[in-house]
Amino acid sequence: MRRLKRLSLTDSSPAAPGVHPQPLWSLRPTSDRQSGDAVVSNFILHWFPAKVTKASLDWNYSFWLGTVSAALLLLLTVSGGPLLFLYVPSVERAYASIKDIEFAVTFGSWIRSVHRFGAHLMVAAVFLHLARVFLTGAYKNGIGQGQRREINWVLGVFMLLVTLLLSFTGYLLPWDQLAFWAVTVGTNIASSIPLVGPQVRELLLGGRAIDQPTLIRFYVMHIIVLPGALGALFVYHMWRVRKDGGLARADRAARLPAPAASGPVPTKTYTLLGVARGTSPAVTTTRLQDEEATVNAVPDLTRRAAIVVLGTFAVLSAMAVLMRSPLEDPANALVTPNPAKAPWYFLWLQEIVTDTTVHIGSFTINGAFIGGVVLPGLIVGLLTTWPWLDRSPRAAAGVWFPQSRRTQNIVFLLLTLFVIALTLIGTFCRGPYWHFYWPWQGWPDIPTRL
Amino acid sequence: MERRTNSPYPRLDRPVLAIIGLVLVLSTVLFTVGDRQHEWRYYQFAFRNAVAEKYGPAKADTVRAGLQQVWVPDLGRADRCTTCHQAVQWAGFEAAEEPFRTHPKEILRSHPVEKFGCTSCHGGQGWAVDVDPAHGPVEHWEDPVLGASLGESYGIVDNTRAMMQMKCNVCHRYDRETKGADFINLGKQLVRDKGCRACHTINGRGGTIGPDLTNVGDKAAEQYDFSRLNGQKTAFAWHVAHLKEPKGLVPDTVMPNFHLSTKEAQALATLIMSWQRAPVPASFVPSVPRTDPRTPDEVVAEERMKTGPGAWFVSTGCFVCHSIKVFGITSPAQIGPDLSNAVEDVQSRFGRTIDDFLAAPTGTMSVVLSRQIILTPEQKQVAIGKLREAFAEYQKQKAAGTLKPVASH
Amino acid sequence: MTEKNRREFLLRVGSTAGMCAIGYQGGAALRSLVPNVSYDAPTTVKVGLPSEFPEGLKFLPDLRLFVFREGNVFHAISAVCTHLGCTVRAEALPQPEAKTVDGKPLRLTHRFQCPCHGSRYAGDGSNVAGPAPQPLAWYHLSVAADDGQLVADLAQTVDHDFRLTV
Repeated sequence: MRRLKRLSLTDSSPAAPGVHPQPLWSLRPTSDRQSGDAVVSNFILHWFPAKVTKASLDWNYSFWLGTVSAALLLLLTVSGGPLLFLYVPSVERAYASIKDIEFAVTFGSWIRSVHRFGAHLMVAAVFLHLARVFLTGAYKNGIGQGQRREINWVLGVFMLLVTLLLSFTGYLLPWDQLAFWAVTVGTNIASSIPLVGPQVRELLLGGRAIDQPTLIRFYVMHIIVLPGALGALFVYHMWRVRKDGGLARADRAARLPAPAASGPVPTKTYTLLGVARGTSPAVTTTRLQDEEATVNAVPDLTRRAAIVVLGTFAVLSAMAVLMRSPLEDPANALVTPNPAKAPWYFLWLQEIVTDTTVHIGSFTINGAFIGGVVLPGLIVGLLTTWPWLDRSPRAAAGVWFPQSRRTQNIVFLLLTLFVIALTLIGTFCRGPYWHFYWPWQGWPDIPTRL
Repeated sequence: MERRTNSPYPRLDRPVLAIIGLVLVLSTVLFTVGDRQHEWRYYQFAFRNAVAEKYGPAKADTVRAGLQQVWVPDLGRADRCTTCHQAVQWAGFEAAEEPFRTHPKEILRSHPVEKFGCTSCHGGQGWAVDVDPAHGPVEHWEDPVLGASLGESYGIVDNTRAMMQMKCNVCHRYDRETKGADFINLGKQLVRDKGCRACHTINGRGGTIGPDLTNVGDKAAEQYDFSRLNGQKTAFAWHVAHLKEPKGLVPDTVMPNFHLSTKEAQALATLIMSWQRAPVPASFVPSVPRTDPRTPDEVVAEERMKTGPGAWFVSTGCFVCHSIKVFGITSPAQIGPDLSNAVEDVQSRFGRTIDDFLAAPTGTMSVVLSRQIILTPEQKQVAIGKLREAFAEYQKQKAAGTLKPVASH
Repeated sequence: MTEKNRREFLLRVGSTAGMCAIGYQGGAALRSLVPNVSYDAPTTVKVGLPSEFPEGLKFLPDLRLFVFREGNVFHAISAVCTHLGCTVRAEALPQPEAKTVDGKPLRLTHRFQCPCHGSRYAGDGSNVAGPAPQPLAWYHLSVAADDGQLVADLAQTVDHDFRLTV
């Protein structure tokens, strides 16, 4: 996307430092100045810094999971657009409108599959991103002044919760058996909260039963409130990344001493319109200023970002073609399907909820409360406050599996594996009546009417 | 000379970007092809050829292309069966293979497609446009097409298409006997003869020894106990087996064995499965009378008014205010006097002949005859003639003493 | 082509192909909004047996149609005002008029007026006053072969010399 350089009478005279006769930006810049100009002149690109450390660009540091999550958010929004026009949020017509999307709309079933699998992938990606940030200690501050990476971590945890809520509210919209009973279970967990539980449930449902008020509430949450919240959190999250000086790994490069006292370092002067070069009194700096440590954000960062976004899209696209998204029988309040399972990212909770009904003498605590409210509450609370509870040194930020954080990383991994194990059990080993079946054992035939 | 930072990334990343571009193109091609490939495109092509062969290319051009839908808002059904089954309302394809076969005409006369759709009679998933999901049974759609193949799989005796009558009875439930639904009629006969209502409540009437069967067709398949049933685990099969040998499925039952033949058990099972809580709009319920019933006397009297000697007064509207009792015309409003003796009545009241009066009416009649009932001169002559006839009849009846009093309202 | 140029070309092709694929997929999203099936009411409608229609005018509100009867000759005029689509109202004429319309005689018993902006039409549908740009449409009538009901085809306009004789 090169723009033709406009010729002018004053073209031959050298411009004063920092003054551009005309915009020069291009995604394939031929000079550092042009590269910096791209960042400064472009609305979307101006969020990037002019230069990034090579360390930040590494595939096997961050796996670009944050970008993958953002790409999926973008794709979910874009695929949600046509669905907004085609779906009808009324209990009489919701199921029929989904059937229309599946059968009668051109590319309808593909768009729906993109949306559904995108949602599942996003939950996975967001969680993996959280795991990566935890395991590399990237919620910790480095050497920069005024870094507050713990805020970004908290934002991230909130974004994880909003993502899960988005998925949960979207799950109800097809108004099929899967949706109806998943929401029944979920809102009954909410009602197990002591004192306020039933009121919370009534607020969620817009009544005492899952009906039209519930559907419209979940719909508005799903298309406006939660995406808006996620968008706002996302913007704040991105701003904090810049404010904190980029990825935690970049800090490490800054902390390594230069091999020798460097000569006068070319400094940068920022003007309103771009980057100018000049020299100023010599300053010895850290390796961060090394030529070899950084590259232009445009095109190297943008190209990698394009790879990640387009790559995510390609994978999602292909998945959507090769796999159908499920749609079960129309919602029927009189018949509970057997077995009735939560979406896969809540299956671990469903397992726990099954096993944690506690009887102490004559006093019974519903497993819904322990497994559905207390445990997740504890986990979220622990996650959110961890940056303040962490006692490891600053040097541990931005490194995979540092020695000083070995214990916490192992505990985190064990908990994650536990959750994954419960999810796998819930997916493959639970059959009708939630009885345990080995994966090779067949389930009893599910009877039909005719 | 502008500086340019060296970077190893273009060499590494540009191939990756190019490959991803190709993968995107591939997935695009895949989903586009997937969207275009539907069996209905082939069936439409084949049907158009069949029409061209039979009726010529001009007629073939009138065959509609693309997805077809019958939308019945009253029943909430959007049926796309006619996308493949295009021959339904084309004459001349009665002997063809499905989906190119003409639909039997007789039933369509009373059950037009625009009013009923297709699936309300045949079953199946109307929304679907591919063969398997449309016909079923597929996972998560419990309403398959009740056609010959399903009937064969159950070994329905005599008529493999009889299961379709299950759908007939969803609306025709309160008929004693429904024309064309022999299987269901057999079932209803058995319910009467074997005395099912002695123990079971059916349609709100019956005993309480056995379960209420009024809406048993809605019962979910999972709520039956299949532990003692061999063969396919369906609610229908359960009912057939239960009717043939109740103790075989429910060991502690008190239901006796009625020694039903297979055909009888299947007919009863079809009937039972049709008892569903399906909300049917009033305009679809067949046996609800469209008008309040009349007594035989009322029928005769109405016929006489419409076709008897006084019919002219009915067709013009005079009878709205005036009775003509000698002709059996009874006015609903009786605002004006009986016209049977108008000839002498007008004379005595106004001192004018009826010819005169009709030509230049006074009072209410001047308003009526100038605004509401406008008679041409020819019609006025007819009126005069009829009034004289009525008067003649009046005099005859008066002389014979058979003058009837006017019925009071 | 040199090795470098060929490589450059292939890389360009790959990225461009990717961009085009994205563009196509965006177009696919838009194509999904073009309806393939119609939830509209059917345009050929059975309106009743001829005997159910009185002499003069019968208004069918759900079809927005006036059906006229003169003995056993029928014609149908739309009640949709050609200005902006309101339903016009019929007003009985004090005296029926005879008019020759499109070469054929017509007995006019009513005229029409639109309540929205005051357009007026004569009994044959011709626009005589107000903002209406066109006369009221005349629609095709026929008799159904199976049960003898009158069939109105709201997708087929006819000239003002159309008459259905039953």
